[in-house]
Amino acid sequence: MSMRPHRRAVLLGVASLVLVAGSVLTVEAQKKGGILKVGNLGEPPALDAHWTTASITEMLTNHVYEGLYSLDNGNRPIPMLAESHTVSKDGLVYTFKLRQGVKFHNGKEMTSEDVVASLARWGKQSIYGKALFAQVADWKAVDKYTVEMKLKEKSAIVLISLAVPNNFGAIYPKEIAEKFAPEVKATEWIGTGPFKLAEWKPDQYIRMVRFDDYKSRNEKPNGYGGGKTAYLDEVRFQPVPEVATRVAQVETGELDFADDLNLDAYDRLKKNPNLRPIVTKPYYWLVAVLNKKEGLMTNQKLRQAWQAAIDIEPIMKNVAGGHTEFYRMDSSLVPPEIAAWHTKLSGLPWNEHNKDKVKRLLQEAGYKKEPIRFMTTQEYKWMYDFALLTKQQLEDVGFTIDLQVVDWATLVKRRNNSKEYDAFTTGIGAFYDPTHPVFLTPSWPGWTTDEDILKLQAELARETDPKKRMALWEQQTRQFYEKVPVIRYGDLFGLRAIRNTTKGFNEKTERIRFYNVWVEK
Amino acid sequence: MSDAAVARSEVVTRNAAARPSWLARLARNRNIGVGAVILAVVMLAALLAGVASTHDPRRLNPAERLKPPSAANFLGTDEFGRDVFSLVLYGGQVSLLVGATTMALTSLWGIAIGLIAGYYKRVDLVLMRIMDGLMAFPAILLAIALMAARGPGVGNVIFALSVVYTPRTAMLIRSTVLSIRELDYVQAARALGRRDLMIAFRHILPNCVGPLLVQASFIFAYAILAEAILGFLGVGVPPYVPSWGNVIASGKNVIREAFWVSLFPGLALTLSGLGLNLLGDGLRDVLDPRLRVQ
Amino acid sequence: MTVYLVRRLLTLIPVLAVVVTVVFLLIHLIPGDPVSVMLGPDATPAQIDATRQALGLDRPLHEQLVKFYARVLRGDLGQSYFLDRPVVTALLERAEPTMVLTFSALLVAILIGVPSGIIAAAYPGSLWDRTLMLGALLGVCVPGFWLSLNFIYLFAVRLGWLPAAGYASIFADPVAALRYMVLPAVSLGFNQSALIARISRSCMLEALQQDYIRTARAKGLSTGVVTWVHAFRNALVPVVTVIGITMAILIGGAVVTEIVFNIPGLGRLIISAVLRRDYPVVQGVILVTATAYVLINLAVDAVYVLIDPRIRYE
Repeated sequence: MSMRPHRRAVLLGVASLVLVAGSVLTVEAQKKGGILKVGNLGEPPALDAHWTTASITEMLTNHVYEGLYSLDNGNRPIPMLAESHTVSKDGLVYTFKLRQGVKFHNGKEMTSEDVVASLARWGKQSIYGKALFAQVADWKAVDKYTVEMKLKEKSAIVLISLAVPNNFGAIYPKEIAEKFAPEVKATEWIGTGPFKLAEWKPDQYIRMVRFDDYKSRNEKPNGYGGGKTAYLDEVRFQPVPEVATRVAQVETGELDFADDLNLDAYDRLKKNPNLRPIVTKPYYWLVAVLNKKEGLMTNQKLRQAWQAAIDIEPIMKNVAGGHTEFYRMDSSLVPPEIAAWHTKLSGLPWNEHNKDKVKRLLQEAGYKKEPIRFMTTQEYKWMYDFALLTKQQLEDVGFTIDLQVVDWATLVKRRNNSKEYDAFTTGIGAFYDPTHPVFLTPSWPGWTTDEDILKLQAELARETDPKKRMALWEQQTRQFYEKVPVIRYGDLFGLRAIRNTTKGFNEKTERIRFYNVWVEK
Repeated sequence: MSDAAVARSEVVTRNAAARPSWLARLARNRNIGVGAVILAVVMLAALLAGVASTHDPRRLNPAERLKPPSAANFLGTDEFGRDVFSLVLYGGQVSLLVGATTMALTSLWGIAIGLIAGYYKRVDLVLMRIMDGLMAFPAILLAIALMAARGPGVGNVIFALSVVYTPRTAMLIRSTVLSIRELDYVQAARALGRRDLMIAFRHILPNCVGPLLVQASFIFAYAILAEAILGFLGVGVPPYVPSWGNVIASGKNVIREAFWVSLFPGLALTLSGLGLNLLGDGLRDVLDPRLRVQ
Repeated sequence: MTVYLVRRLLTLIPVLAVVVTVVFLLIHLIPGDPVSVMLGPDATPAQIDATRQALGLDRPLHEQLVKFYARVLRGDLGQSYFLDRPVVTALLERAEPTMVLTFSALLVAILIGVPSGIIAAAYPGSLWDRTLMLGALLGVCVPGFWLSLNFIYLFAVRLGWLPAAGYASIFADPVAALRYMVLPAVSLGFNQSALIARISRSCMLEALQQDYIRTARAKGLSTGVVTWVHAFRNALVPVVTVIGITMAILIGGAVVTEIVFNIPGLGRLIISAVLRRDYPVVQGVILVTATAYVLINLAVDAVYVLIDPRIRYE
């Protein structure tokens, strides 16, 4: 058993759980009540889970809404609002049984018509929904608690798509799902989750209060799913955009929990007896997305030269505030936390920093020091940091980099126009299925249109045998490093801090959840 | 009581003394002396950055990040291992360039607009409403919006700050022109058939020099401070270009782990501001005793 | 006086017309796009275009400008893209924190600035004078955000006397409101007190040289009476001007303070609105602050008359 506090929940009676912390047998009892103040970095653009891929919306909406499926400890799909499902022999018909007696925050019972309307909307707007519904031939209610999905062809991504937490298939009441067109954001927020939205005062707080009629699953908590109990009377999400202020407020106890802190504060937070810093794994892998539609980077040799040039470890270490705890050197496109798709391939051309190879590739590419337009932003400091370090490394081996530091709103706009850039920075969050990476699609900025890549993606979507899928995924990973649609750096971890008075927080999951959390003050 | 007596006697002597030439008074004014010396030192340091700096200020050195001041790095290193001493020296070039150019541009535009408005009643109304409109923007918000529209860059910072500060200078020149144009000798010049432009340059402009110099020194000081604020908000000079604002801004997140990153450029900025303000105060005392009141 | 005020109010219209047009053009010239921000990092261009259409952002700029004018004339500032509420509502929510901050900072600035200026002027050339004036100079030159961050560290984190950041409504919880407001008001007010101190000093010096002060002294009145009663009143006019200017500056200067101390006021609103390209909010905030600025200037001129009977407006 590891030395770090190990948590195992034991079910006692209906709603009381006992926490065993490591080998020290301190039994802590959950307490109802209290307000938890959470500091995060900004305002969500919407509280409509179908509508945006913004991660702040993901974090907030997962307290209010639930989907048919959720993810367990190992990031595999487990039922949430669904009771069970059956798949026809030919693999073309999925029949979902819904849980009965689940109530929306407005008191109405959730039934099949809500599920059908919600997921139909999600299927038109969400990136995951669209990918899934592209394969759906028919989607309808069979009876009050049964829905049926008919597919055009066999699919491997039905359950995982319904389970991903980001841009997720949240179930809204039918009236709301039908009232707001998919491209119009919903501004009424009613779900089945353990917390309901009480008040949203922009730049001050979003107050969520316990939903007393919440019907929990009977299982114990498991990853993002299983049993959920809202002990807290209220969770108050407070946007604190200035990171120095966010750190100070969790140190003084004005916040019980603060997310996205600057990694340089880690040592100081560790010394503070009143709180505990948490390393968020996984967080993002750093990536330079290359424009493969137009301009210099359409040249595969030049992309390979960039990949061969970079010395990743010093870059990662600098971005991680000098702390080795905050980065991981790994060539797998999926982090080990998502065990099912983590690859252990050797001999990949990753982190080579091989000058001779770069020289050769640049020559073969016919590159004549034309400036490469590399867009980044300071709004996400780690993006600017690794872009700046990259510029120096690349220029040392013969590239010319025109680093363009713009604000985020400009970057996300300009990256859609293939004429305006050659590369841009972003982070790739954990994805739960090999068909989910946006950087392997032809529609996302950067435009990966390589036929071989897309062919493998299509095969991965069709193939349902896990072993064969893994083999395909390994093949795709090798192909990734050969064709270099984007430049993968290393895995960066995040830093959050939690006051000791906050109990029961699941530190193992990447995404923040405050059900099953209580306070002792 | 005795202090008051001193004050009175000071006043008396000042009034009683024969008014020496303004050049002599310039030289004698202590504020100007101290201000000029401070400014000269800061400017010299910035100009000599190429010689005096110990490191390439743009060279990243991740292995040496956030090292405290030492013999190798006099003022320590920043989060990318850049030498803060060299950053402050080179940063001075950029910050002072921003300040000086903004000062020059606002003066030029201000003179042009102020002269035209003060001289031609017909355009006066339109020009002054535009100036009013620009003044009505909170200065920093206007600068932010302009920066967002034009993107980061030294030239764009100078442009944005010049737009922000020009109305003040224009108003000042206009009011000076208005008060002078009715004076006898200007009327006389006009009666003699001198062209407007000639009159403006011969007779009116020289009278504006005093107030203008005072105003300009303060605008210089505001501009370097504003550059720092824009840097803090992430909409100033591109962050990899060393400027005092950028170095302070990059140090703000590590203010407690590595105070030296933001402290020393902050001191350089404060010092230059101090020099400029002393200079401005002194000029005001000497060049235009009436203006001192405002 | 009334005629004057009405005339001044009428000049407000062209000024605001300039402001409205400049703001509109400026914000739409800024590259970037609210929809790309709203839809998040993984959104595809096709999705973005659909939502732009839904918001009417695909219409030609002049068409949008005409619509904007029409709405402003009806007193409607539009709907925020991000905040799911009308801009007017968003503004009203943020007005209180900014006003409380501005007035507290102004109070601090006056409380520090005016007495310092008077003391310095009463004893010119003395150690007091030099120390106070050097302090005032430093106050002008120190970057405000740097001072604020150090204040937070010292008084909140180290000493634990005051909260690091945040805001409580003065109507809901006056004690908490006061505790939250001390650090921001002091760091913002200190910067501005410098200007007030310097102006107060020079005006006092000026006033003390006037003949009637000499007469007062000759009558044997004490320095205190001379300084505070006779000279001060006359020095007040320019000081009021500066206080007016200060207030106008504070409205804009509050931006950085609001960000550092996490105060949910207009400054933070506009920064986030600019960064997210929430066009209606940017337009609304600038319009309102510009109006406030013009009105403050007007008020300052009106106050002159009350203070100095020599000034009369036709």
